[in-house]
Amino acid sequence: MSGTPLFFLLLSVLLYLGGAVASLLLARHESLAIRCSGLAGMLGALAGLAAAIPVLHGAGTQLYAVAGPFSFAHFVVRLDPLAALMLLAISLLMFASALYSLAYVREYAGRGAWAMGFFLNSFVAAMVALVVADNAFYFLIFFELMSLASYFLVISDQDPEAVSAGFLYFLIAHAGSVLIMVAFFILYSHSGSLDFDSFRSAHLSAPLASLVFLLAFFGFGAKAGMVPLHSWLPRAHPAAPSHASALMSGVMVKIGVFGIIKVGVDLLGAHLAWWGLIVLGFGAVSAVLGVLYALAEHDIKRLLAYHTVENVGIILMGVGTGMIALAGGHTELAGLALLAALYHTLNHAVFKGLLFLGAGAIIFRTHSRDMEQMGGLARRMPLTATCFLIGAMAISALPPLNGFVSEWFTYQALFSLSQGADLASRIAGPIAIVMLALTGALAAMCFVKAYGISFSGEARSSGAEHAQEVPLSMRAGMLLLALASILLGLGAPLLAPQLAAVATSLSGGAAISVAQGSLVFPSQAQTTTLSTPLLAILLIAIPLLPLLILGALKGGRLPRRQRGESWACGYGQEAIMSVSAHNFVGPLHEMFAPLYHLREHLDPSARLRRSLDWLIAASTRLEPLWDIHVVSRVASLVTRSGQLLQGLQGGDFRIYCLYVLVTLVILLVLVV
Amino acid sequence: MPSIAMIFLAFLQALLLLALAPLMTGLSRMIRARMHSRRGPGVLQDYRDIAKLLKRQDVAPAASGPVFRFTPYIVLSAMLLLAMALPVLSPHSLLGPVADLITFVYVFALARFFFALSGIDSGSAFAGIGASRELMMGVLVEPTMILSLLVVALIEGTTNLGSISTAMAGGQLQSPVALSLAMLAFAFTVFIEMGKLPFDMAEAEQELQEGPLTEYSGSALAVLKLGLALKKMVLVLFLLGVFLPFGNAGSDSLASLLGSTLAVALKVLLIFLLFGLIENSMARGRYMLSSRVTWIGFGVAVLAFVFYLTGL
Amino acid sequence: MQNIALWTILLPLAGAALSLLVAQRHAKWVALLFSALATVSVIGLACDFNAAGRVAINYSLLSVGSTQLIGLTIDRLSVLVALAVVSLGLLVVLYSTAYLSLGNKEHPHEGRPRYYAFLSLFIAAMAGLVLSSTMLGQLVFFEITGACSWGLIGYYEKPKAQYGAIKALLITHLASIGLYIAAALLFSHTGSFALSGLASLGEGAKLAIFLGILVAAWGKSAQLPLHAWLPDAMEAPTPVSAYLHAASMVKVGVYIYARAIYSAGQVPQLIGWIGVIMAVITMIYSFLLYLPQRDMKRLLAYSTISQLSLIFMALSLSIFGSQLAFNGGIAHIFNHAYAKSLFFLVAGALSYTCGTRQLPALRGLLRHLPLLGVSFCVAALAITGVPPFNGFFSKFPIFTAGFQLGREHLLLLPCVVLALIESVASFAWFLKWFGATTPGESSEAVVNASPIPLAIKISLVVLIIMCVASSFIAASWLN
Repeated sequence: MSGTPLFFLLLSVLLYLGGAVASLLLARHESLAIRCSGLAGMLGALAGLAAAIPVLHGAGTQLYAVAGPFSFAHFVVRLDPLAALMLLAISLLMFASALYSLAYVREYAGRGAWAMGFFLNSFVAAMVALVVADNAFYFLIFFELMSLASYFLVISDQDPEAVSAGFLYFLIAHAGSVLIMVAFFILYSHSGSLDFDSFRSAHLSAPLASLVFLLAFFGFGAKAGMVPLHSWLPRAHPAAPSHASALMSGVMVKIGVFGIIKVGVDLLGAHLAWWGLIVLGFGAVSAVLGVLYALAEHDIKRLLAYHTVENVGIILMGVGTGMIALAGGHTELAGLALLAALYHTLNHAVFKGLLFLGAGAIIFRTHSRDMEQMGGLARRMPLTATCFLIGAMAISALPPLNGFVSEWFTYQALFSLSQGADLASRIAGPIAIVMLALTGALAAMCFVKAYGISFSGEARSSGAEHAQEVPLSMRAGMLLLALASILLGLGAPLLAPQLAAVATSLSGGAAISVAQGSLVFPSQAQTTTLSTPLLAILLIAIPLLPLLILGALKGGRLPRRQRGESWACGYGQEAIMSVSAHNFVGPLHEMFAPLYHLREHLDPSARLRRSLDWLIAASTRLEPLWDIHVVSRVASLVTRSGQLLQGLQGGDFRIYCLYVLVTLVILLVLVV
Repeated sequence: MPSIAMIFLAFLQALLLLALAPLMTGLSRMIRARMHSRRGPGVLQDYRDIAKLLKRQDVAPAASGPVFRFTPYIVLSAMLLLAMALPVLSPHSLLGPVADLITFVYVFALARFFFALSGIDSGSAFAGIGASRELMMGVLVEPTMILSLLVVALIEGTTNLGSISTAMAGGQLQSPVALSLAMLAFAFTVFIEMGKLPFDMAEAEQELQEGPLTEYSGSALAVLKLGLALKKMVLVLFLLGVFLPFGNAGSDSLASLLGSTLAVALKVLLIFLLFGLIENSMARGRYMLSSRVTWIGFGVAVLAFVFYLTGL
Repeated sequence: MQNIALWTILLPLAGAALSLLVAQRHAKWVALLFSALATVSVIGLACDFNAAGRVAINYSLLSVGSTQLIGLTIDRLSVLVALAVVSLGLLVVLYSTAYLSLGNKEHPHEGRPRYYAFLSLFIAAMAGLVLSSTMLGQLVFFEITGACSWGLIGYYEKPKAQYGAIKALLITHLASIGLYIAAALLFSHTGSFALSGLASLGEGAKLAIFLGILVAAWGKSAQLPLHAWLPDAMEAPTPVSAYLHAASMVKVGVYIYARAIYSAGQVPQLIGWIGVIMAVITMIYSFLLYLPQRDMKRLLAYSTISQLSLIFMALSLSIFGSQLAFNGGIAHIFNHAYAKSLFFLVAGALSYTCGTRQLPALRGLLRHLPLLGVSFCVAALAITGVPPFNGFFSKFPIFTAGFQLGREHLLLLPCVVLALIESVASFAWFLKWFGATTPGESSEAVVNASPIPLAIKISLVVLIIMCVASSFIAASWLN
């Protein structure tokens, strides 16, 4: 079987596990542990790519089943196109992160760098195993393993904030997995087997199927960080080391999306339109609120974490549209919408990974996550700045980068939905489009802020002043993702058909055609088209014109000069004058005040704390009650009855003789 | 994929629009001066400004970064790209793969992104605030813009600018009420995007829209000014192309081309005149309250959508 | 095979006798030797049984006429549980050799012979109970375990410990009345004490016998309303708590219940309903009492109660006809024994090294006592059911079976859902304490900790390994 995708899949998991164990064994030689786990991660990622690409390229679904030690579940591996796509995203990001970690983790030497290598590699191994598991039991095991390993990554700083973030994270993830478990149990009770294959053919009544869907939706939604189950995300991701945040944000939350697609579309077949409407609705709200809350942050990693909420929202909008279309039997639209969702999944993995690695590079040099402590880094860390800028452009969906392509497809899917026959989708589609537009504008604002405050202007702290470019392996990791981000955008005409094949494998319709030559288009009819290569070529070529004009009119112009202070109304420029992260979004705070208040009003933590305190107090009172009211009552009853009986035992032997006599008489009477 | 000849033609169109852009901004300035009852500069003043600036040295603050340096070119090229794809003389776009409503909106966003970023990148406090306000206006305007365009797109069944333009120019009008309301909403957003009172005052350089211009000087400023002038031109033609493509050439004959040239020139002039009139009869609004005004625009767009749903 | 089974019971018994006879300083080594021999013997039994094709066998040991009084039964159920109780006995004796020493910060004290004698006797009684094929045999060993627990809980001879000891003895003895009645009924109906007779009984007799067994089981397994002794039994030396109150004595209850269900074939569903409902009530009650606990051992006591409720629930679910639930329950007996022993032994090691087991006083274990930190983590995750640790693998089939049965018996669903919620809630609570005690800066008690003795280290490491491996052993054994 060597050389088949499944072989490479196994190899990939084994390499990750090998890296994990090696890192554990080399705990005493940390620099060696860092290198081993990083290299094993890279090799595992390459093997993962080797497993994923043939499947995406037409090798078809790969199946493998074995009985396993548990009587109630078979160990089934199913490397289908969707799993292969997830595997591709995981491996791509893991390769860059592992490369990056070679230098980055040295920062943690002496603070458990070896444990980080162990948990990171096991975390990725669990994710890889999860996406290919085709049995509910093993799926849940890998799901929990993934949460467990990432929990340790979150608490790796071991400070109270990290520990409490980890607690919240793991608790929500675990509660989510229990919801998923219940969904699977219901399916199991109708299909009689825990294999996903039997779930696919199980026939559930509509209310029961809806219950299963909702359970799975909220269970996976918690993992995906969808509003209102997102509260763990902006706390957990910043606490983890940056390359782990990149993986958590880039691919782990996508497992949630993957699960929603898996259960909603693959297992249940998306029969009812309102499921899709719910997904669409939660997606739209997550997108807007995610970015709005991101804008309020000045911790760079929290900001990025909130953007994950936003992007998951955008992906869910695609998924929801696809589900609505499937319920209505429009497989072509469903294919398009799922294509948009999957494309954005892949893209977000790349650019969010890139941004987190960039943030990690900043933190590596400035030792602060607070953007107010940065500034002026573009001149000191030019490559990091360029990569971060590319990531920022991609996430703001600026053409011709990858974020734009997938959002364009999302818009087109929503547009097709808006043209649908029923009123619900005719209203839902446009609302979603408007929210997506608002999200886009807000995201652009947010990343102007993120890049501007961190990289532009003057240094605002000594850490930022003395920052240097990061080591080679970190630069290489970032550069790789930046290139991927560009290629996924420019290569859209090549990539979209592949992803469309994955999408149609889910929607079940005929193959949809979405690309021709250098064009991509949302439907066969080519009513509208997009060509990112053309956009890119033109955007690069056109500036030649102004340069020519400049050259022609050079005349006696002096060369460019860069020195002196900026203008400050005639006063001397001081660093404190430059715009801060907070006042940059001041107007927004005022204009969207209700939405920010909403967050405070809806935050349940204070209420939860109060009710927990009440519960603890009540149970403290409850504990001794049992002893007081039952045990000691019984004991004293025994004592009292003993005292009563004492009267019988007066010490006079004549009375004892009387007892014997009376007993004899009674017995005789009874016998006779 | 368009042929090389088409791209070349499109490029010529963009160049033509670029050449005319300072004329239009000059016209705006003239209208303002007239309404202020002052003489004001000539219509060609902006050409003179730009020519002068091109000869001057480009001076940047020490704290400015690479984004500050490249932004003028990015803004100008984004606008030129849009100018290439606009259906100007005929209702067809010369550059089909770019002429998509969503692509258009996001290419505008690209320009806005860099324009605002250059403000922060200059290191100047004023430019930074200007950048914030520029983006804020984008946030307020973009949903309205998308929704009003969506109404047209839904009526015509495509998001392609060329197809919409063709359909609007040719066929009979469906949902006239919805269309006119959508046009109103879109014109409103165009008005704001052009940097007009009461939201903005494009000529005052430490104001919102041109706030990020504070630190630009010399040739860089000239390029950026060209880009901003072209942006106004593109916006107006965008409005015309989507909602008012009437009179555009149906065929390639010289006569109809001439006719449509005349029609387009007239329409552009009219719009600039109209916007000038509206702008100069307004007082400067308080910035923090501008969201209250933009809600009106959004409301009109929603109304347009509701009318579309009812089929009126 | 019969002989090996008998050896498994007799060897620790001999150990008990000998450890009383030899000098005090040798007592622990004698106990250790004999429990090790017993472990070898039980492993031999398992291997033999496996090699013989895992066919259930009954032997009669003592009969009066044709009436079987005491006998042995060797089947998957008894061998698996015997394996757990005997091997854990060895680990606890090993652990005790280090724990009961002058180096102990909480109780500096050298172990007396009677400690080892009671402990060895306990191992013997447990093995005997598990392997008994008659209700009379169960009753005898049931009472021996009660007596031993009295001796061990009151071992430190402090008033509180003695109060706990007598409380445990009385409550479990009170409960044993149920078993007496059940045995008497069984005898009056079948003329034998053999459990296999249960299968031939009528509905009414079964109901009465099972009620008796349930009462006895609730008492031993500390279920509501007979739970009151377990928290107070925490006055015992910690290895005793680990063995008696996590691995073996409390398992007597669930085991006799399981054994009866296993032998009886069809069981009246009423018993199932009673079992499930009481289990859910106990589970919720014991979860509520997690909340005020600061003493790690008391917290673990309540956690034991709730885990045993889960086993009761699983066994009661099996009455409705689910083999999956039964196997899940048995596997949980096995898995929980290792996980909870590990947790108690961590508590003991904390007492030993830090001199306290008050959770708020413990912080930053990972930095100064990494082995205890890791053990704490493994134990907490195993108890709360997070894979790859064993708890998950037995909880999962129980819940699976619950939902499957819920299709026919709709009322079971809320019970199973409540149990799931309890599972998540106790996960949260243990995770909270894990976060509070293990990572971060060390507290004073932890900084000044004394080193961990080798015997304790070995026991912990073995148990950590078993916390991962036991689920696979149980699953393939019951398969």
